Amino acid sequence: MNGLIIICGLGLLAMISEIFKFRSVLFPLVLTGLLAALALNVWEWNNPMHISYFENMIGFDRSALAFSTVILAIALLWFVLAQDYFKSGQHLVDHYALVLFALAGALMLTGCKNMTTLFLGIETLSIPMYVLAASKKNDLKSNEAGFKYLIMGSFASGFLLFGIALVYGATASFDFEEIKAYIAVFQGELPGFFYVGVIFILIAMAFKIAVAPFHFWAPDVYEGSPVLITGLMSTVVKTAAFAAFMRLFMMCFSNVSELWVTLLAVIVALSLAVSNFTAVMQTNTKRMLAYSSISHAAFMLMIIMSDKGETASVNSLIYYSLAYSLASLSAFAVIYLVSKNGSEDITELNGLHKRNRLLTITLTIALLSLAGIPVTAGFFAKYFVLSQIPSDTLLWLTILAIISSTIAAFYYLKIVGSMFFADSYTKEPIVVQKSHAFVLIVCVVLLLLFGMVPGLITELALY
Amino acid sequence: MLGYTITQWLFGILSFLAVMFALLVVFSKNPVHSVLYLVLTFFCIAGHYLLMNAQFLAIVHIAVYAGAIMVLFLFVIMLLNLNEQHEPRRTSVSRIIGVIVAGLFLMVLVGVLKGTEQLQLTNTANAEAGLIKNLGQVLFNEFLFPFEIVSILLLAALVGAIMLGKKEVKENVNENRI
Repeated sequence: MNGLIIICGLGLLAMISEIFKFRSVLFPLVLTGLLAALALNVWEWNNPMHISYFENMIGFDRSALAFSTVILAIALLWFVLAQDYFKSGQHLVDHYALVLFALAGALMLTGCKNMTTLFLGIETLSIPMYVLAASKKNDLKSNEAGFKYLIMGSFASGFLLFGIALVYGATASFDFEEIKAYIAVFQGELPGFFYVGVIFILIAMAFKIAVAPFHFWAPDVYEGSPVLITGLMSTVVKTAAFAAFMRLFMMCFSNVSELWVTLLAVIVALSLAVSNFTAVMQTNTKRMLAYSSISHAAFMLMIIMSDKGETASVNSLIYYSLAYSLASLSAFAVIYLVSKNGSEDITELNGLHKRNRLLTITLTIALLSLAGIPVTAGFFAKYFVLSQIPSDTLLWLTILAIISSTIAAFYYLKIVGSMFFADSYTKEPIVVQKSHAFVLIVCVVLLLLFGMVPGLITELALY
Repeated sequence: MLGYTITQWLFGILSFLAVMFALLVVFSKNPVHSVLYLVLTFFCIAGHYLLMNAQFLAIVHIAVYAGAIMVLFLFVIMLLNLNEQHEPRRTSVSRIIGVIVAGLFLMVLVGVLKGTEQLQLTNTANAEAGLIKNLGQVLFNEFLFPFEIVSILLLAALVGAIMLGKKEVKENVNENRI
């Protein structure tokens, strides 16, 4: 809760910094604020005094705190990375404010305990992201990305609202716990429109996390947006959306799981098949990573599906989002640094080995982690998912997941190979700033650390 | 009067007017007239809200829909100079397809309406719930947190709109001036 308050305050501070002329100290201020929010999160973890606030509207139990810590840590790394991106534009203050407001929405989603906070959290997260996607105003592709994101996002929000209204009509409550209690009492006598409502909410959330067949916006939006904003989308936004998905379906609708588990199985199978086969054919790095993010979202959905007692599943979901976010952030960071003076084409990475050693190593580790190769965090992330799927009923899904991650490994390793062995058109070395190098090294070290000691996350006592 | 209460008469008249104006929105040739008829439709729906004792909703409906959104519509129509009908002539194929699709949709609607069962309301709502006083109390007690968060949401939307709308100052133009 304290983290949320601090982030909201920082957003407001960013807005008035233009008026009171302390724009130059805004960056250190934001970093200090994020660090303070992280520290307070840890403090709240150790002193669980208030779990829920404001008539049970929002509650930060340990799983919410873990998710918000992941989000804040990734955001901190992102801000360090994005320092010179902010400097280049003319709307520095607006960018800061929008990113911070989106962050506030993300934190709200991790702690939502009520349909109203869920909806407002999603909107507070999405609306700044629509604008940020379109923030390269002279670039036609960026405009297209923002517009597409807005239209598709509003469409999903409409579904979400309709679903919430139907569920409210059936259970007469917005509160997650009250809805759960109502379902437990009246199971079997619930009206048909309740189930329609749950499915509508499922569709809306699937839109937001971009899984097939609701993924069509993702590649275009990821490609058109500025690289760093795409990095934010695939890390912070995704983690927050999954935190909300988990709270909603594992906690609130867990008593009607037979309804949505089958649907999720179809969604997961479709996403795995569509994303990995399409990703092989991509020539734009960002587009390829967009498809890869769809397949990772499918893996994360598998955790929600195979809910075996809440604690283990939540732990592996946190582990997966952390591993994915770190790998994805470092991959986007490398693409950002490489594409600064060049294109975002996959061939731009050819022979990167001869241009900059650090970037090559970072991207290699990140891609190995995304592919799920041991010693990196991605291996255990995928291992936990596959080991948790009930093998009697969903064996076919496990096999499909293994096949598709083999295909994924092919296109990740193809890039790694071309970085080391292909010839680049230029030998001009890429200079990396100290702050950027710091972020890259932190990401790599964390990826290897969590890959070697996964117990750091999976043995956290969430309850 | 004919066995109906005043409320039922008002409901009938308002519904008739709402449907009439809605039809006029579709059938009038001039887009500006369409928008004005739509405003009248919204007023009729606001009347329905009043009948259901939802004062706040009625006022918001008029202020937001009839006020803000419709004025925006009018602005756009006038800026684009659409006051004459520019619609291209439709071919007969598209007309036939339209009729078939609309007919299918009608069939679905009729089927759904025939299949509905009468549900008994389990929770009868408080009839006073829509009054401004009660709504305000709920908003500032139970829903205080969402109410505050909406301000952040609106602020974010405002900042975003200004950022996208602001004119980009071209750097090289400045250099030329200097």
